[in-house]
Amino acid sequence: MRKDLMDILACPMCKGELTLTIDEEKNDEVIRGGLFCAKCNERYPIDDSIPNLLPPDLRKQMSA
Amino acid sequence: MARTADEIKGAVKEFYGERAVKASSCCGPEDVNDYKEKLYLLDDIKGMPETVASFGCGNPTAIAGLKTSETVLDLGSGAGLDCFLSAKAVGETGRVIGLDMTDEMLALANKNRDELGAKNVEFRKGEMESMPIDDGTVDVIISNCVINLSPDKDAVFRESHRVLKAGGRFHVSDVLLSRELTEAETNDLSLWAGCASGALLEDDYLARMKAAGFAEARIDSRSKIGSKPWFSATISAFKSADEGSCCGPTCCSLGS
Repeated sequence: MRKDLMDILACPMCKGELTLTIDEEKNDEVIRGGLFCAKCNERYPIDDSIPNLLPPDLRKQMSA
Repeated sequence: MARTADEIKGAVKEFYGERAVKASSCCGPEDVNDYKEKLYLLDDIKGMPETVASFGCGNPTAIAGLKTSETVLDLGSGAGLDCFLSAKAVGETGRVIGLDMTDEMLALANKNRDELGAKNVEFRKGEMESMPIDDGTVDVIISNCVINLSPDKDAVFRESHRVLKAGGRFHVSDVLLSRELTEAETNDLSLWAGCASGALLEDDYLARMKAAGFAEARIDSRSKIGSKPWFSATISAFKSADEGSCCGPTCCSLGS
């Protein structure tokens, strides 16, 4: 995920702002990290450059 | 017995996950690359890697009339073909976001993006019933044979309307029904993931779009698939130009 495309991202549940944390990056690309919604107290993971912004219930169900 | 939304989502995800690996088309048994060549202008797809397969039933980019610098959202972006074509159309100052819920498709799309060096394209894992996109940020929504897969189309239309800018456009290909399906057809999950039993009747589709807030919704073209009770259509809808704008003629005059 590219950092400069953060601005139009929103939490899938409350549509509020997300805060980016970076665990691994390459050039301007976030490879691994997270997107945190303070309002929902929910962390959306970024793996292999792809942010997983499925609603939390669906994410847990699909990774089960 | 009716399938639950979760069962449908699970089946769709599994079906398209497998397709990312072994290619077959959504609306017929044809070879994917053959199918792609029937839907797209050859000049447009020249230079695309073989793995940029089309699983759709139309070519929404051709009708979208994209302009430089626009922001495009592709619902169910699959291997990314429509995203890459859109990215060319909007240029470096524009951007394209592909939304998909299938890991295998997203991985394939990202690989294709890197191969093509398409810097203005981003893929995100998410569902179109609850889009991870800010209000009023998208100029054009495109989608190719995907919305019919959703168990909650009203939510897809509401979310589409929400993320579009005032005056934003919705141009998609989708599968619609020419008659109600039998219960057996409706409950056949393989039919569902193959585009048919989740599809709506044409009038119902447009009525739901209008109920979601779109100022205008219409069918631009129809293309029948054999003698089946469903057909592929291109659909356009528009968000009113003065909607949601705080600087519209009525709103600003109320301010101090």
